[in-house]
Amino acid sequence: MISQRLREAIAGVFSEVDVALAYQQGFDKLHATPCFMTMPEEINKLIWNPLCVHNLTSYLPSLKKKKVAVVVKGCDSRTIVQFMQEGLINRENVVIIGIPCNGVISVNKVLHETNHEPIEDITFGENGEITVKTLKGEKTLLLSDVCPDKCKTCQYPTPIVYDRLVGDPITSDKSPDSVYADIKEFENKTLEERLQYWEQEFDRCIRCYACRNACPMCICQDSCIAETRDPHWISQRATLSEKFMFHMIHALHLAGRCVECGECERACPMGIPVNKLKRKINLDMKELFGYEPGIDPEDKPPLYTFKVDEVTIKEHKI
Amino acid sequence: MRVGVFICHCGNNIAGTVDVAKVAEETRKLPGVVYATTYMYTCSEPGQEEIKKAIKNENLDRVVVSACSPRMHELTFRRTVEKAGLNRYFFEMANIREHVSWIGENKELNTNKAIEAVRMAVEKVKQNKPLYSSSFKINKRVLVIGGGVAGMQAALDCADGGLEVLLVEKSPSVGGMMARLDKTFPTIDCSICILGPKMVDVAQHDKIKLYAYSEIDEIKGYVGNYQIKIRKKATYVDWTKCTGCGTCMEKCPSKNSYDHFNFGVAPTRAINIPFPQAIPKKAKIDPDYCRQFVKGKCGVCAKVCPTKAIDYEMQDEVITEEVGAIIVSTGYSLIDIERLPEYGGGRYPDVITGIQYERILNASGPTSGHIVRPSDHVEPKTVVFVACAGSRDKSIGIPYCSNFCCMYIAKQAILTKDHVPDSQSYVFYMDIRSPGKGYDEFTRRAQEEYGVKYIRGRVSRIYPKGNKMIVKGADTLLGTQVEVEADLVVLGTAVISNSDAGHMAEKLHISYDTFGFYVESHPKLRPVETNTSGVFLAGACQGPKDIPASVCQGSAAASKVQALFSKDMLESDPAVAKVNINACVGCLKCVKTCPFQAIKEKELRDGRVVADVIETVCAGCGVCTSTCPCGAIQLQHFTDNQLLAEVNAICLT
Amino acid sequence: MSDVAARELRIVGFLCNWCSYGGADTAGVSRFKQPTDLRIIRVPCSGRVDPLFIVKALLNGADGVLVSGCHPRDCHYTDGNFYARRRLEMLKRLLPFLGIDERRFHYTWISASEGGKWQQTVTDFTKRVHELGPLHAKKEATP
Repeated sequence: MISQRLREAIAGVFSEVDVALAYQQGFDKLHATPCFMTMPEEINKLIWNPLCVHNLTSYLPSLKKKKVAVVVKGCDSRTIVQFMQEGLINRENVVIIGIPCNGVISVNKVLHETNHEPIEDITFGENGEITVKTLKGEKTLLLSDVCPDKCKTCQYPTPIVYDRLVGDPITSDKSPDSVYADIKEFENKTLEERLQYWEQEFDRCIRCYACRNACPMCICQDSCIAETRDPHWISQRATLSEKFMFHMIHALHLAGRCVECGECERACPMGIPVNKLKRKINLDMKELFGYEPGIDPEDKPPLYTFKVDEVTIKEHKI
Repeated sequence: MRVGVFICHCGNNIAGTVDVAKVAEETRKLPGVVYATTYMYTCSEPGQEEIKKAIKNENLDRVVVSACSPRMHELTFRRTVEKAGLNRYFFEMANIREHVSWIGENKELNTNKAIEAVRMAVEKVKQNKPLYSSSFKINKRVLVIGGGVAGMQAALDCADGGLEVLLVEKSPSVGGMMARLDKTFPTIDCSICILGPKMVDVAQHDKIKLYAYSEIDEIKGYVGNYQIKIRKKATYVDWTKCTGCGTCMEKCPSKNSYDHFNFGVAPTRAINIPFPQAIPKKAKIDPDYCRQFVKGKCGVCAKVCPTKAIDYEMQDEVITEEVGAIIVSTGYSLIDIERLPEYGGGRYPDVITGIQYERILNASGPTSGHIVRPSDHVEPKTVVFVACAGSRDKSIGIPYCSNFCCMYIAKQAILTKDHVPDSQSYVFYMDIRSPGKGYDEFTRRAQEEYGVKYIRGRVSRIYPKGNKMIVKGADTLLGTQVEVEADLVVLGTAVISNSDAGHMAEKLHISYDTFGFYVESHPKLRPVETNTSGVFLAGACQGPKDIPASVCQGSAAASKVQALFSKDMLESDPAVAKVNINACVGCLKCVKTCPFQAIKEKELRDGRVVADVIETVCAGCGVCTSTCPCGAIQLQHFTDNQLLAEVNAICLT
Repeated sequence: MSDVAARELRIVGFLCNWCSYGGADTAGVSRFKQPTDLRIIRVPCSGRVDPLFIVKALLNGADGVLVSGCHPRDCHYTDGNFYARRRLEMLKRLLPFLGIDERRFHYTWISASEGGKWQQTVTDFTKRVHELGPLHAKKEATP
């Protein structure tokens, strides 16, 4: 079992670190939750299955001065690479326990499939089948039907960086063209349709800032300009333009940095496609500068550098 | 908050197309504005007195002047409010002249635009914070880049005033273009005879350190404190040992080196001293021609050198120097004859440039001052001068006048007659431009006393016929076609900027125009300053200029440096970036993007890492502010809130 | 005022102090006539222009935004406009994704000597924004 091998891997590095980050069973059968282990006996708590949705690397910058072991999936590993590019962690202080991943679940999608009945039990088969037990009976779902959208086009099922790999590397069988297919499709809409789409989406925003709080690259923490008076970018008024502006701040601060881990959308209680704008920018960054966040630790985020001659940026005419 | 607004008529300049009374009336309605008035000329002394009086009487704590461009008078009014006891940053200007009254035809729309411009300035000034300069020590050494006549004049004037001067010249000798000239107009002085003593003064002045055959690699820092990297290019001759005896040059077997000093009129040796009066008078090897370098064996110069100064292994040396101000006097170049195909494009040996002709006329030149034509060394009897060869020609991208060709052509025509009394000169010209003292008389003398035939019209083609050159052109005064059979044709080629002028400007952070000439701070009133504090211009690097104008500007630049250095401390511009350490999350993106390395990381006592601005190094661009995601680093006077106040004043109304 | 408001659209211009603001001054000194819709905000450098200012303006009532800085390589601060170029290009591509016509936003490089280019730019951009019409027509009613 991977869980067991994972426990062994963590036990193997435990003496080197101050804290180990992994997953444990959450408050119910449907939820895993992050666990911070400082005692060896805690290792037995940890689990590994498709419930382990969180991007645990989010905690790393705040633990910059500590030695940390962290369990990462392929998608999560991009965050670490991005942290390295931006100098937000000390790589030598992090022991990365990588796990090749075939996909996780979307809690919301599972609940949707089971009509929001309380989940009594959930088990995972070898080939991506999920058996969910509720008071109303048992239902078998396919992981590919209830995974988050990011898993459907995942290009990096095996972590890009790791110190220990638990399990065999997996190669992606998803077409690279599929990654931004939804963005390109959205661009087929008319301008009016797009504006209307965003106005409808952002109008539902309750300014809870869960998307921001969940985002590993949102480094501003308590200094977020969505809440400051100096600078005073937006007021607390619940108008569409202020909500829209908040999402623009979020998107532009992530421009060319977003590793597309999807934590923002997972956290959003209103189901707003928060990641979409950032992914659109990523697509542009790829086209303009051949840059993809979280892939190469030696890269520089494209908006914090420049070339004297930008061959891909053409002068605009009126 | 008590804002006072002063709306200027600027005579009729503003009031002619803006209803200033209406602007004042609308301004009075703005929240925070307690006083608004109009005045005929706000920048005049009584106008400034009005402001001071109002600050006292109305108890104003913020002032807006709505008048011309802040680039014109911001400093003026900042001083005014400061004299009345306000911090000088509690002041804003609304530009309703250059950006409103002078460009809009409709008075109603102009008035509305002016009202909004004032509203923006009022909203901004309400966000302003008092800022205070700190003072810093200045290094009273000056760097002069380029040792032509302008640079030498600047260097000597600075040095005579007691300043330490570093003079960096890229060629092996100082002297520049003037050292190559035979005589100067309109007095027919011997050029090197009047320049030579200046060159010697430069060499001997104990305050001047000369770096010949050296270039500027890098310039860092700011007014008062520049760090300069000077590259002393390898000469392959140890100049501390070389006595300038010239034996090496005599014995050098490589006799076909390109002679840069003589513009290729005749070849020189691979090891050479450029000209007899060279300062420093030292030899230098041209490795492109030297057999030791090309073929790997020779060594003649090393054998004959009496002081054993030859060093084939010599490398470039980079020296770091510190200065407080920079005078740029890098001079000009001449258009390559290849760009002028209608004049042969360089294919005909007897079509030469004016500067080449100077070398032929010159007694110490390759022909020892005997006028002979390059093809067969025969004395020419008919010489044709073509003015505006490339100048004032939009088709090749040089619409401007090269300034001194009309005059030197007249001079060369006169000298031709002096040298070859039975010769006849012709000058094809567009207009004769001779506005200097004694200049017009000089061009008349050429025509009246020396019989030079001036033909008003452009030359369309030059081609060879036998051993003559046929010059075909129009005489626009007679309205006929003209054809002259010439023995020699001299082109008054266009003055252009140096090919590396742009690179130099980038190192200096100064602007240059479309043609590569450096841009002065104000075309009329600040002709030697640049927009970069501490960098001054002298000579033709700013635009084509003759000798007296270059000398004037050299002296003017020197006096600007003297004035700058008359103080021991300079005041820093407080409009620099400032970090709010409580908001800074220590991501240090600002450190990575700062173009001036003006931001460092700092560890606070609680162990938190934050950004820290080195105020004297910060130039105030604000890249950090637009980089910082949490708004923790704010460019003072252009903070997010100040700019947002302006955006909101436009949009949220 | 209402008459004026009907004829004009709101165009915000961010101009760097050293080049483009000077270019606009040069156009003024040369009496190069221009449409009156543009309101100019002076910034030290185009690198100071956070794309969020442009978004803020467009979301809050502007019908068009113009940014102009020193020509690449001519930045008074050496590199400021190089950063600006990347960030503004990013925004230019993002705007249509949001449903805002990218033609409402233009960025360009104009030196202090290019008064003519400034006049042309303002004239052409204003014309284009007028062709696109007001961005906020339907939202005037909302508070």
